[in-house]
Amino acid sequence: MPRPERPVKRRVNALHKEGVTTVDWKDVTLLRKFVSDRGKIRSRRVTGLTPQQQRQVATAIKNAREMALLPYPSKGR
Amino acid sequence: MVLMRHYEVMVILDPALDERTVAPSLDTFLNVIRTSGGNVEKVEVWGKRRLSFEINKSAEGIYAVLDLISTPDAVKELDRQLGLNESVLRTKVLRREPPKAPKATTKAA
Repeated sequence: MPRPERPVKRRVNALHKEGVTTVDWKDVTLLRKFVSDRGKIRSRRVTGLTPQQQRQVATAIKNAREMALLPYPSKGR
Repeated sequence: MVLMRHYEVMVILDPALDERTVAPSLDTFLNVIRTSGGNVEKVEVWGKRRLSFEINKSAEGIYAVLDLISTPDAVKELDRQLGLNESVLRTKVLRREPPKAPKATTKAA
């Protein structure tokens, strides 16, 4: 019998809604939270952001990368 | 009237520079903006920061953020002149979107 119960890892609610309405690409400490230690942008599944927020975060991270505030993803070993 | 826009310019400068000289030397660059009728809202020098990767063989840089209201042409010229200077590692010019006010689109243009 198929159980409709998946491992319900309810994503952490949009951490973001704690005040921030527009993402500032200069706010490195905030953006760090949306980047893995490899430097990759965390997926929406992980961040639990809305599509709009995720897009804002992604562009902010990319801008920050250009100015060497955040690292580019490093290759696997 | 000429079109004026809000810009945000970030500059990374050579870490070998003296941090105290940064603000005045940036100011000379900003004359382009002022003479063209623009306005310099804010000059913020962050100071020395570690770069997350090397740029031109230096691991550090002095960051500065400028807030401008100016014509597109003036900003372009500013960016060009900054780029020519050797102590500037990198620049980035972004339009500052006005904070989500214009939802009730006021057509006062």
